[in-house]
Amino acid sequence: MSDRFRRGAYYTLLWSVSLLFFTPVAWIIMSSFKTREEILATPPTLIFTPTLDNYIELFTQNQNFLQQLGNSVVMSLSAVVIAVLVSFLAAFCFSRFKPKGTNFLMFILLSIRMLPGPAVILPVFLMFANFGWKDQHIPLVLFYAMFSIPFSVWILKGFLDGVSVRFDETGLANGGSWFHVIFKVVLPQVKPGLIAAFIFNLIFVWNEFLFNFVIGGVQTQNIPYALAVGTYSDGGLNWTFIAALTSIYILPPVAFIYLFQKYLLAGMTFGTVRGEV
Amino acid sequence: MAQPSSLLNDRRTLVFVLLAPVLAFFIVFNTIPTLWLLGLSFYNYSLTSGMPPEFVGFTNFVNIFFNRNGIWSDLSRTFIFVACAVSLQTLLGLMLGFLFWGSRNMPGRRIALTLLFTPMVLTPVATGTFWRFIYDPTFGALNALMGLFGATEPINFLGDPTFAYWAVLAVDCWMWTPFMTLMTLAALGSVPKAELEAAEVDRLTWFEQLRLIVWHHGKFILMLGMLLRTIDSFKTLDLIIPMTNGGPGQQTRLVAVELNKQAFQSFNMGWSSAYAVLLLLISIAMTSVFIHVLNLRRRRERS
Repeated sequence: MSDRFRRGAYYTLLWSVSLLFFTPVAWIIMSSFKTREEILATPPTLIFTPTLDNYIELFTQNQNFLQQLGNSVVMSLSAVVIAVLVSFLAAFCFSRFKPKGTNFLMFILLSIRMLPGPAVILPVFLMFANFGWKDQHIPLVLFYAMFSIPFSVWILKGFLDGVSVRFDETGLANGGSWFHVIFKVVLPQVKPGLIAAFIFNLIFVWNEFLFNFVIGGVQTQNIPYALAVGTYSDGGLNWTFIAALTSIYILPPVAFIYLFQKYLLAGMTFGTVRGEV
Repeated sequence: MAQPSSLLNDRRTLVFVLLAPVLAFFIVFNTIPTLWLLGLSFYNYSLTSGMPPEFVGFTNFVNIFFNRNGIWSDLSRTFIFVACAVSLQTLLGLMLGFLFWGSRNMPGRRIALTLLFTPMVLTPVATGTFWRFIYDPTFGALNALMGLFGATEPINFLGDPTFAYWAVLAVDCWMWTPFMTLMTLAALGSVPKAELEAAEVDRLTWFEQLRLIVWHHGKFILMLGMLLRTIDSFKTLDLIIPMTNGGPGQQTRLVAVELNKQAFQSFNMGWSSAYAVLLLLISIAMTSVFIHVLNLRRRRERS
């Protein structure tokens, strides 16, 4: 009996910690169901009649919003699909053939992700401005793909190193081409790595602001861009808009970490640590 | 007999074909721009003046080094930020990680962990924006909460020079403590159960168990986590832009914030390039340390 009680107390404690970390997010989600007066009330109101007006207004009154949301979805998906595919080939090459300079290339790849954002984007900005690529979807998507490659290569190489070379040899000995070996034999075995790379980079591009701001523009703007430049402020910040917007925008990443919790660790450490929590 | 795929069976061709796309991406979007950056760091070039770039040698670097309130104060601010963030997050993360260690069978564990891990996958710009809402001196929730505990004067967390830096740091800790918890859980998960049971049989104290077994197996993952946090917090920018954008004064002006301002608000391209080159050197140094630790781990696993 006392053991059961202790267990109950322990679980309650864990749940409280989790809820404590979630409180600020819960607060913003709660605020999105308030009217403007309730949001700006002092002291803040805890009891109120929830209203969906903010969401209705967001979808109907604001043309930009749908465009920005569409940009976010299309750009992050296409960039990450390209990046993961290309990275898989390179990671396979690094893992199996270890060409000269593999370590150096892996190092260079990683160091790009270690550099503060403005330092990465500064020369790219000059290049984009000179070539007239600014504010266009395809160059921006390709840049995002480039930026998603390093971690994808690292994650996938980690997983590919775990697949025995025997599989390749068997496939080749049985008359399969390299194409067959790579896509039919090896690819299915690193599915967890592909998912980890995909999810991790998807969350990254989804959340990315600076690059979109600097080398994108009005046509390509996503939601973080809109938030940062204060698109939704007309004399002071429009908190009802922001609360509703944020609540919608953070849903996909949160859903991803619920659905793909198994892959979270591999993604967050780009494959240097594998396993589940 | 020539097979249709014989070309691909030549090793060198295959290596080239597999690597070509990634190399193409990198040469276009990284190598060329980086060389451009290196070159530009020796020029005086401002986009607002409309003047063509003018070669000035090392003047930009000299200016950066000898400017009071320049890179040195930005760097010291950044490194204090990194040191505080990493140590606080590691400590808290360790505590939470150990707390969650025995929770395999907890009802709703997956939901609880999702809630706990939420802060680190949120859009940093959105996080910064809504923390500004929570920190607000007039209608913010935090001041109201402190009012309940007897605070009389509302505090302008992000506008007051004494608080702004720490307020930003607190949000960073809120965001990234879950990451260190994740790493601690992974480190603890890598400890073999059998060894712990053996230690139990041998009647080792919990401290000896911790020192001899848990630390031995878990230290590398923990170190990787700390390194990743070090590198990431060095880059902190998205979070700061909506909260303070470097202010009040320069209280929260970290290196990334300063570079962002100089490059994309003042358009001092030459000066910014030189600044970026210096940051590039720091990043390369940090990457080397990271790879070194990673190799230590690999070597140990093999032996």
